[in-house]
Amino acid sequence: MHKESDIRIPLILGDKNYKDITDDVIRPIESKAPKGWYILISIFGIFALWGVGCIVYLLGTGVGVWGLNKTVEWAWDITNFVWWVGIGHAGTLISAVLLLFRQKWRMAINRASEAMTIFAVMMAGLFPLIHMGRLWVGYWVFPLPNQFGSMWVNVNSPLFWDVFAISTYFSVGMVFWYIGLIPDFATIRDRVTKPLAKRAYGILSFGWTGNAKAWNRFEIVSLVLAGLATPLVFSVHSIVSFDFATSVIPGWHTTIFPPYFVSGAVFSGFAMVQTLMLVLRKAFKLEAYLHTKHIEYMNIIILTTGSIVGVAYITELFISWYSGVEYEAYAFLNRATGPYWWSYAAMMTCNVVSPQLMWSKKLRTNLTFTFILAAVVNVGMWFERFVIIVTSIHRDYVPSAWSYFHPTWVDIGIYVGTLGIFFVLYLLFARYFPVLPIAELKTILKSSGENYKKGFGHGEGYYDSHIEKH
Amino acid sequence: MSMKKTYWKGLDEKDQSPEFVQNSNKEFREDLSVDEFIGSEAIGDFQTGRRDFLKFLGFGVAAATLASCETPVIKSIPYVNKPEDVTPGVANWYASTFYDGNDYSNILVKAREGRPIWVKGNKDFGLTKGGITPRIGASVLNLYNSDRLRGPVKSGEPSEWSVVDAEVKGKLKDIAANGGKIRLMSNTVISPTTQKIMYDFLDSLAPVQRVARFDAITGQPMYDPETGEQLFDGIEMNESDVERVEYDATSYSAMRKANEESFGYRSLPTYDFSLARVVVSIDADFMANWLMHTKYNVDFAETRKPEKREDGEQWMSKHFHFESVMSLTGANADSRCPIKPSEQGAVAAAILKYVTGKDLGVAVSDEIDAYAAKAADKLKEHKGQSLVVAGANDKGIQLIVNEINHALNNYGTGKTIDLNKEIYLKNADDAKVEELVNDVVGGKVDALLIVGANPVYSLPNGDAFGEALANENMLSVSFSEFADETASKCTYICPDHNYLESWQDMSPSLGEYAIQQPVIRPLFDTRQMQETLLVWSGKAERADKESKTYYNYIREFSKKWFFPTSKDYSTFDEFWNWTVHNGSSINNTDIWTAEFKNPSLPAASSLKSSDAAWEVVAYQKSGIGEGQYTANPWLQELPDAITKVCWDNYVTMAPADCYDLFNITGNEKGKWDGLYIEQETPVNMVNVTVGEQVLKLPVYPLPGQARGTIGVALGYGRAENQEAIGSAAFQIKLDQTGDYDLDADGNKKPIGGNSYKFTSFVNGSIRYYADADVADANEKYFLACTQTHHTIMGRTSILRETNLESIISGHKDDYNPAHELHVHTKGHGEHVNATDVSLWDEHPVEFVGHRWGMSVDLTACNGCGVCIVACHSENNVPVVGKDEIRRARDLHWLRMDRYFSSIDDDARARWEKDKRAEGNDWSYANLEVPEDNPSVVFMPMMCHHCNHAPCETVCPVAATTHSNEGLNMMAYNRCIGTRYCGNNCPYKVRRFNWFNYRDYRKFKHVNNSQDEMARMVLNPDVTVRSRGVMEKCSFCVQRIQEGKLNAKAESRAVADGDVVTACADSCPNGAIVFGDWNDEESLVRSKTSGDRAYQALEEIGVKPNLWYQVKVRNVEEAAELAHVDTADEPHNEEH
Repeated sequence: MHKESDIRIPLILGDKNYKDITDDVIRPIESKAPKGWYILISIFGIFALWGVGCIVYLLGTGVGVWGLNKTVEWAWDITNFVWWVGIGHAGTLISAVLLLFRQKWRMAINRASEAMTIFAVMMAGLFPLIHMGRLWVGYWVFPLPNQFGSMWVNVNSPLFWDVFAISTYFSVGMVFWYIGLIPDFATIRDRVTKPLAKRAYGILSFGWTGNAKAWNRFEIVSLVLAGLATPLVFSVHSIVSFDFATSVIPGWHTTIFPPYFVSGAVFSGFAMVQTLMLVLRKAFKLEAYLHTKHIEYMNIIILTTGSIVGVAYITELFISWYSGVEYEAYAFLNRATGPYWWSYAAMMTCNVVSPQLMWSKKLRTNLTFTFILAAVVNVGMWFERFVIIVTSIHRDYVPSAWSYFHPTWVDIGIYVGTLGIFFVLYLLFARYFPVLPIAELKTILKSSGENYKKGFGHGEGYYDSHIEKH
Repeated sequence: MSMKKTYWKGLDEKDQSPEFVQNSNKEFREDLSVDEFIGSEAIGDFQTGRRDFLKFLGFGVAAATLASCETPVIKSIPYVNKPEDVTPGVANWYASTFYDGNDYSNILVKAREGRPIWVKGNKDFGLTKGGITPRIGASVLNLYNSDRLRGPVKSGEPSEWSVVDAEVKGKLKDIAANGGKIRLMSNTVISPTTQKIMYDFLDSLAPVQRVARFDAITGQPMYDPETGEQLFDGIEMNESDVERVEYDATSYSAMRKANEESFGYRSLPTYDFSLARVVVSIDADFMANWLMHTKYNVDFAETRKPEKREDGEQWMSKHFHFESVMSLTGANADSRCPIKPSEQGAVAAAILKYVTGKDLGVAVSDEIDAYAAKAADKLKEHKGQSLVVAGANDKGIQLIVNEINHALNNYGTGKTIDLNKEIYLKNADDAKVEELVNDVVGGKVDALLIVGANPVYSLPNGDAFGEALANENMLSVSFSEFADETASKCTYICPDHNYLESWQDMSPSLGEYAIQQPVIRPLFDTRQMQETLLVWSGKAERADKESKTYYNYIREFSKKWFFPTSKDYSTFDEFWNWTVHNGSSINNTDIWTAEFKNPSLPAASSLKSSDAAWEVVAYQKSGIGEGQYTANPWLQELPDAITKVCWDNYVTMAPADCYDLFNITGNEKGKWDGLYIEQETPVNMVNVTVGEQVLKLPVYPLPGQARGTIGVALGYGRAENQEAIGSAAFQIKLDQTGDYDLDADGNKKPIGGNSYKFTSFVNGSIRYYADADVADANEKYFLACTQTHHTIMGRTSILRETNLESIISGHKDDYNPAHELHVHTKGHGEHVNATDVSLWDEHPVEFVGHRWGMSVDLTACNGCGVCIVACHSENNVPVVGKDEIRRARDLHWLRMDRYFSSIDDDARARWEKDKRAEGNDWSYANLEVPEDNPSVVFMPMMCHHCNHAPCETVCPVAATTHSNEGLNMMAYNRCIGTRYCGNNCPYKVRRFNWFNYRDYRKFKHVNNSQDEMARMVLNPDVTVRSRGVMEKCSFCVQRIQEGKLNAKAESRAVADGDVVTACADSCPNGAIVFGDWNDEESLVRSKTSGDRAYQALEEIGVKPNLWYQVKVRNVEEAAELAHVDTADEPHNEEH
C-alpha cells in the first residue's frame, strides 16, 4: 500500500493555476478602486497634509516649536527616526536574508514588505533632516569637495555613519524592489488596455521581453542584490545604535546596542508587516497566497526577536547594577521608577510580555489576535526608543540640569503626519503596483503532477514535495 | 619775428618726411592683420546658426541676470575726524563709580567705539575692591532702555528745557515768596557737590541767604555733635519753609538712631569683615544687599580661605546666620538658624545674654537658644576679632547689637567696626520721611522736587502719595530718567542723565573721594539734575548737551575741598587726573573718637515676638534689589541665587507649611513631588493679606524658610499703571506670540506684586516685615526655574565638600580622594586612577604652547551671580524670556548650580560605605528631598573644554573642534544644528538657538537685540548667533585673542593675567581663576595642583581644562560625604 504523509501545507492554497495568480494579483489594478480605498486615502491624506503643514511651520520658525529643551535635545524626532528605520527592517530581511535561506514562504509578503521598507525609510530619513537646526546647510553632512578650505565631514561621528548607512540601505532596497517589479510590470503592461496605463507600465517595465536571457540576468541580479542587502540588514540598525552606544551618556553608552537594536528592528518590522498584510489580504482577497501558515511563521519571528529584545532589556538592568557605576545604575533605576516609569512599563509590557503569548499555537494562528498584537508591538517599540532616548538624557550626570520633556502639538503633528504620508504611499502602492510577486509566485505553484495526484483522491492533503525537495 | 613757436616730437615730425606724413594719418603704425583674418578661409567654417544664436542669447541673458544679483551692501561710515581716544576695534576702559542710592561700587566700564558695553568692579582702586552685584553688572543695559525719557516733560507731554526752566523757576519763586512749603526729596546723596548744589538751590529760594557749613576735610555737611542738627553759616532763615529730605526705600534709619544713642553721633561705621574671625548676622544680607555689601562681600571672602596664609596661620571665619527667608548670605553661612522676623530682637537679646550675662528677659525657643549659645561661645573666643550685625531697621535691636559688639571689644580703629570712619550711605531719617509723606498726603506741601527716589512705588502708602502728587495745586517736579510711578504723576519731569553719561563726585565714606565719569555722550536731550538745579538757582545758564557746567563745578569744588587734603599729589591737575584715572582717591583725615555711652536697652516687651500665624518678610533679591531695574531683561533673566526662578515674584514658604496649607499628603518621596515645579507643573497661588493690602502670588516651596513665615521680594509689581519703565517689566504670554499678558481692562500686567505695601512706619522707622494672613487662592500659576532638581543625589564625583578641620589636619585622600576605577589586569582586579585609564591618546596640549585652563573655588564662590551677568553681556547671550526658561531653554553659557543638602545624605554616606558591599538598597528616592534647613552649595558650571571632548567626536560636520590651546571651539557658521553635541555633553552646558532670537516675535519685548537702542550694548567682538546653531562658553576666546595679540604687539610672551575671562574678571571674590595652565608660574596652575583641586566627573575620562576646588565649611561635624570612597566597586570582590 502506497502512503504519502502530509509534509507541509502548500504555500498557495486553492486550485490555482498560473492565470489565476496573474488575475488575482492584477485584479485590483485593473478594476475600480473600492470606496474604502478612497476613504482611507482621504483620511491619511489629511494626516499627511497636516504633517507637512507642521514641518513647514517647524522649518519656518525653528526647532523651538518642538518640546525639546537644553537637557533633552532629542526626543520624538529621533524616536520616530529610529522607529521608522526599525520598521523598514523587515522588508530587506524578508527579501534578502530569506531569499538566501530559500524560504519560499517569503514570496507572499516580500513585495509588500519591501514597499513598506522603502516608505518607512523615507519617513525615517525625514526626521534627521528636519531635526537639524539649519536644514538649508544640511548637505554639509556629505563629504562634498568644496572651496571653503579644509572643511570636511567628521568621520568619527556616528551621525555621519548614519548618512551612509541610511542612504545605502535606501538605495539598495529601492533597486532590489524595483528589479523584482520589472517582470510583473511587464505582465501588467501586456494586459492593460487603457493607453495611458499601458504607456506608464511600459516605461516602468523597462522593456522587459521575458526571454530566457532576461530571466537569467534577472535571477543573477536578484541574487547579487540579495547578497549586497543582507549585510545592510545588520549594518543599518547597528549604525543607528552607534548614535547612542558611542556616547558617554548612561543608558546610551551600552555595548549591547547593535544586536539589540537589530533584533528590535526585525521585531517591529515584522509587526508592521503583519498589520499591513492582514489588511491587504482581506481587502484584496489574497487568502490563498497568504494564509495562516505565513502568519504563524511571522509570529514565530516576532516571538523570537521579542524574546531577544526582552533578554537585552534584562541584561541592561543587570549590568547597570553589576557594573557598580553609579550613573549607570541610576539611569536604569530611573527608567523603571523615575518620572518616566510609565513609558518603561509600556515598553516592558508591549515588547517583553505580550510576544510571549505567541508560545500558544492557538493564539499565534489567530488572525485577530495577531493583528492586535502587531499593533501592540509597534506601540511598544516606539516606547522603547523613547525610553532609550528621553529617559537616559532627561536625568544624566549633573542633577541641576535634569528636566522633563513635554511634546508640543508640532511634535505630535509631524509624527501623525509621517504615518499619514506612509499610508498614503502604501495605499497608492496597493492600488497601482502588484502587491504580490506574480512571476515568483508561479515558481511555487504546484505542478500538474500535483493536480494529477489530487485526482487519485488524496483528499484535502496537499503537499508540495516536488518543490520543497529542491 | 613771428611769435608762433613750433613744437615737435622728433626729427621726423620736424622734417615732415613723407613716411611720417603717411603714418600720421593711420591709427596704427603697423598694419594689422585684419585682412588676413577676414580673408582667411577658416572663417567661413564658423557659423552661428539660429539655435546657437538662441543659446548665446539665453546664456547672455542668464549671465547678465546672475551678475546683477549681489548681496546687499551694508555701508559703514568711517570717521571724518577720528576721535583721539577711540580706535575702532580696541576697547577703552574708564574708571567710574556706581551709586544709585542702594548700591555703591568703584567700577571699570568697557567702551567700544564710544559705547559702554560692559561693567566690572575696580579691583585696584577704591573702597569696594572689585565688589559688584549683578545689578551693577547689568546696569549698562539700563542706559539703552528705549523707554528712557528723551527730553523734559510737562504734564505728560514732551516739552523744551527753556519752557520748563522758566516755568519751574517762576513757580518756585512765587511759592517761596508766599512762604509756601518747598521740599526736595532725594535718596541719600553722597556727592558733596550735589549736596552743596541742593542747599544752594534751596537757599536761593529762601529770602534770606544761608550757607550750609561744610567740613573742611570731607566736604560733607556738618552737624552739631550735641543736637545732631545741621549747621549753617550765615543768617538763619526763618520765613520760607524750604527743606531737604532724604528718603531710602530700604532704610537704615534706626541703625543711625541707635548709633546716635550709643555713641552720640548719628552715623554708620565702617565694618571690616576681613578682620572678623566670627561673624554673627541677624538677618543682615551683607553679601548681597546690606549697607555697603559690595565691600563687605570682598572683605568677608578674605576670611574664607582654608589654605595656609602668608603669616603661616590657617584659619577660616565662622559665620552664624539668623534669618527667615534664605538669603545669599544665609546660604553661605556655616550655621544657619531659621527664625521669624519678629524674633530678631529675641535672638539679639539671647546672644547678649550669653555674651555679657545681661538678661533682658526675652523668651526664645530652645532651638534658637541653642544656636545663640553656640554663636556667643564663638564670639567670646574671638573677642576683638568678631562682628555682630543686624539687618533690622529697629532701634532696639541695633542698640543691643551695639552693646554686644562693645562687650566683645569690636569697636575701634583697626578693629572690625571703625566708628571713626563713618560711611555716608543710607542717611535717610524715616521720621522725617514720615512727616514729609504725611504733609504731602495732607496737601500741606506746595512744591515737591523728587530726585532719585520713587516714593509712589516704594512707600507703604505710595498710592495716597501718588494721588497727592497728581494734585495740580502742588508743584511737582521729578528728575527721573523714566516716567515711572512717581515721575508720571509729577507735572514736570526734568530727566537726569544716566550714570554712564554723567560726571559726579562721591564721598561714600570718610576719606574716600570717588569720581563718576561719563563714558558716552548723552544719548538724549536730558540734563544732569545738578546742572538743572544750578540753572534754577541762577548760578548757571542753560547749556546744550555738551555742557561742562557741572564738570567745572566739581573740579572747582574738588580743588577747594579735596585737593588740599591729598598728600600724594603736588598739583591739582595731577590730583584730578589721577583721581579720574583711578576712579577714586584717598584723602587724609583727622580722626575723632567715639565713646560708648551705655544707652538704656529696650524693654523686653518691645522685643516680644509676634503671635501671628504668619509673618511676611519683604526682602531684597540680589538681581532686582529695590526695584530700580525691574525692567532690565538681564536681571529678570538672571535666576535668583537661591530659588533659581527667573522673571517672577513669588512667596517663599517652608515646604512643611505648604503641605499644611495645600493639603499635600504622602510618603517622603511623594512629599517633595507635591512641591515639584516644572514646565507643566504649575504652583499654587496664595493671597497674602497685610492689613488692607492683598497680594496674590505664586508659592515657591523653599527649604530653609522659617516655619510660619513667608518672604516676598521687593522690586516687583512695578508700573501697575502702565508707566513706561521698559518693555521687560511686564508679563509676557506663555505662548509663541510674545505679546503682553493683558488683564481684563486690556492693561499690561506687571510682573509680580509690590511688597513695599507690606512695609510700615513703626516708631519712626520703616519696618520690612508684618503679620499676615495667608490663604490658598485655589489658583495655579507657572513659574520659570532654571533648575528643577535641588539635590546633588550624593554624587561626590561632581561636588565635593568638607570642613576646615579635615583641611587642616586631614589628608587629601580623606576629603578629596582621587577617583579610582576597578580594572582587570592579567587576571586580577586592581584599582587604578580614573585618569590613567583612557582609550584615547593624550591630547597634545600639555606642555606645548598655551593650554587655557580655569579653576573654580567652590569655597570662595558665594553664588552671587555677577559672573552670569558678566558672561551674558560679554558674549551677547540672548535673553529668552519666561516661557522659554519655563521650557528649560535658558541660554546661559554659565549657570550657577545650587544644591541643597538632602534628607538622606547621611544615609547615603552610610550606604556608600556599608550597604553597597552587601549589594542591597538602591534607594535614591529620599536623596531627592532637600532637608528642612539645608546646607547649600553653589557650583558655577560652564563648558569644561574637555581635551577628550564628547561633543567633538559626535558632530557630523566638525563644527565643534579642539584648538591646540586646549579650547573646545564652536564654529557657528559650520553648525547644522543636530544637537548631538548637546546630548553628549556630560555637564549639559551646551545651548541651542531654538529660535531666531533677534527677529522672532516671541522675543520682541524681552530680547535686547530686537530693540534698536538696546542693541547698542552688544559686544562687537562676539557674533550674534543665528537660529539653529549650538553655542556655549568659549572661555571668552575673543579675550584670549586680544591678550595674545597685545603680547605679540609688544613682542613678549603672554603673561599670567593678560587673559581673563569675563566671569573671572568680574568675580568679586576671585573664585574663578583663568590662565595658561602650561605656564608653570601661573595662578591657575598652582590652584589646580593644590590639595583641594578636583575635576568633576573625572571617571568618564573627558579630561577637562576646568578644575574645581573642594567646598570647605567651618563646621564641626566632619562632612561625611567627603569621606566616601568614590571607587566604583559594587562588591568586595576577591580576584
